[in-house]
Amino acid sequence: MSDVPFKNPGWAGNTGEFDLTEDQVRGDDFVGERPKHGGHASGAGTMPYMLAGKNPEGPLFEGEYQERFEKILTRYPTKRAALLPTLALAQEIRGHVSPESMDRVAELLDLSPAYVRGVSTFYTMYNKRPVGRYLVQVCTNISCNLCGADEVVEAFLNYTDTELGRTSEDGNFTTIEAECLAACGYPTCVQINSRYYENVTPAEVPKIIEHLKAKGGD
Amino acid sequence: MAELVKLTIDGHEVSVPKGTTILEAAKQIDTLVPHYCYHPGLSSPAMCRLCLVEVEGAPKPLPSCVTTVTEGQVVKTQSEEALGHRKGVLEFYLVNHPLDCPICDMSGECDLQDYVHLEGRKHGRGIEPKRVFGRDDFGGDVLFYGDRCVMCTRCVRFMNEVEQDECLTVVERGNRSVIDTFFDEGLEGTHWHGNVVDICPVGALVSKDFLYKARAWDLDHTPSVCASCSQGCNVLLHTRDNLVHRVKPRENLDVNAWWMCDHGRLDYEWMNVGDRLEAPLVRGNEGTRTAKSWKDALADLLERASALDDKSVRAVASARASNEDLGALAELVGAFGGGETVFRSPRAEEEIVLKGFPTLARRTDLAPNVKGAGLLGMKRVGADDATGGLESVAGHSGIVVVLGDALADQPEDFGSKAGLYIYLGTHDSAAAQAAHVVLPITTHAEQEGTFTNHEGRVQRFWPALEAPGMARPAWLILGALDAELTGEAGPQTAAEAFAELSEAIPALGGLTYEDLGTRGAVAGTKGAVVGTQGAPAGAAAQAARG
Repeated sequence: MSDVPFKNPGWAGNTGEFDLTEDQVRGDDFVGERPKHGGHASGAGTMPYMLAGKNPEGPLFEGEYQERFEKILTRYPTKRAALLPTLALAQEIRGHVSPESMDRVAELLDLSPAYVRGVSTFYTMYNKRPVGRYLVQVCTNISCNLCGADEVVEAFLNYTDTELGRTSEDGNFTTIEAECLAACGYPTCVQINSRYYENVTPAEVPKIIEHLKAKGGD
Repeated sequence: MAELVKLTIDGHEVSVPKGTTILEAAKQIDTLVPHYCYHPGLSSPAMCRLCLVEVEGAPKPLPSCVTTVTEGQVVKTQSEEALGHRKGVLEFYLVNHPLDCPICDMSGECDLQDYVHLEGRKHGRGIEPKRVFGRDDFGGDVLFYGDRCVMCTRCVRFMNEVEQDECLTVVERGNRSVIDTFFDEGLEGTHWHGNVVDICPVGALVSKDFLYKARAWDLDHTPSVCASCSQGCNVLLHTRDNLVHRVKPRENLDVNAWWMCDHGRLDYEWMNVGDRLEAPLVRGNEGTRTAKSWKDALADLLERASALDDKSVRAVASARASNEDLGALAELVGAFGGGETVFRSPRAEEEIVLKGFPTLARRTDLAPNVKGAGLLGMKRVGADDATGGLESVAGHSGIVVVLGDALADQPEDFGSKAGLYIYLGTHDSAAAQAAHVVLPITTHAEQEGTFTNHEGRVQRFWPALEAPGMARPAWLILGALDAELTGEAGPQTAAEAFAELSEAIPALGGLTYEDLGTRGAVAGTKGAVVGTQGAPAGAAAQAARG
């Protein structure tokens, strides 16, 4: 069915259960269309938006994003409680949480900028620096490490010609190590943007990267 | 009176109010359980895990800073188990600590040093390299050495809870976590950040002003009162080689608790200024000034005074002078022939209130004894920057007395029309040129005395420095003159001077130095139980926080 020969057991063929093509499941980012305004308020803060049309200089919380921010606020008893989804929204817009974003979020939520900095640096899923179009997070925790995660990291770095935590020259790939991705049954697990690639070996790395490169922009 | 709870700590029966923590209760038997994150003026997160004690019946060691006492509890702070737990925790504290005590400003007053010496292992077992943060300028007077930090977050909580300007936070996580501000936005613009240096149990937050100036063990500590505003914060003057090196707050829950403002903390250099008046100077007829002994100078002064026809007095006092000095001045003015005494004092535009302890503020009156001068019937004149207002004194033809006011804004012919012009000051001044007698006096750091703060609390201070040359406290000089004029014996000690004053001024209500103690008493409350002294510190802080 697919011309991408992964041995990933995540795709079990078309069972008729889901109305999704393999391409959508193996895709590099999102499944289906998700509106920028967040849809229903109940999901506005939690939907896994990542890196869609990010612009590091983009205006924060304007237009549809403003609408989504307001929906997020309705879901929490206090403004302070809405901090995490608001930071996630800022990261979706700009690709990372910059000092300016923290300052703006603090202003919107009546918090001190220092507090917002403390929170955003605590969580590893907020990128504090700009990352490439594809953020490659290789699990190097016990299970994956035993199955050669370090070599997978090396392979990603070599193939994209960059260093750990740095972005490749074409601006596409940033590779970092991640702690447990909760896929210990399928080591080595690699998370690329919001997608898992499981049972990854160093030999497969070029294929994955070429596949992603072929997908190009959103 | 709160309900009392009886418990046993290290074999001693202790009875404390309900709700007291074990750590505070243990202070009653002079046992200080080691701790970092706990501070009586802040909330207790129980995150340093150092104050672990053994409680009979509890399955695990308990953090004594948050465990409240219960009836019949049996606590062992020094048992093998408790010591073992604390020893383990201390070893972890040293995993990344640089042990740069020889170049650390905190060395000698560091809780980590003390506790490791007391309860820690002799040798560390860590072989891994230590992680390194380096140092960071937090702005204001604060320098941060990240490697020395024990992450007790006292500073973060002080800024959140007491100053209520959340500009410090814990950044990052795990062993990379570190205290920081919002990027380059430092502590500038906050008025109480010097306190984070005081409450830092280790050398992570140090004062730039004090950096490398002295070793803690070389400093003498003298209880005093801050002279920078009328709040009257209790302080310790830390001195060495007859110089004040820094000012630290002294705990007094009725006035300043554990805190003081940066304005007062850094305003001490004036006590060290040299170029002092060191001997009485008597002006001859041809205008030259000659240094004389006290005996000769005062005899000369009295002789000149007795020859005068117009003995009405115009006096300029200073709100930086002690109650004793001002009282002696008032006596002398009366003995000469009566007259008006005025004083000038700078006024700030607004109060800077410490939000988490609102009875503490940098007051608008920037002198310590404005209230005291007022109680003695002295009149405040001049502008808010303490200039002008002396027209009636400058050209007075009788006796002019100046006490402690440097008259920096006055011309050289100030007092030149006076029959007798007496200038008592610490430094010479252009406006003192016409003075017939210039008498050297001491600053409050060099004498014993009292100030009356904005709410009427009379507080004692003690001499921290040696007075230069022949300088003497003003109350002693003025008292001696008064004694010559009236024939009564003058005061020989500051205590006598204050007792006399307190008899004469009904507002003081007969207070004595014994009544004042080290923490002062509000004028007119002799015999009444006031304030929160005596209550456990934690409970009082709780009450103060509301």
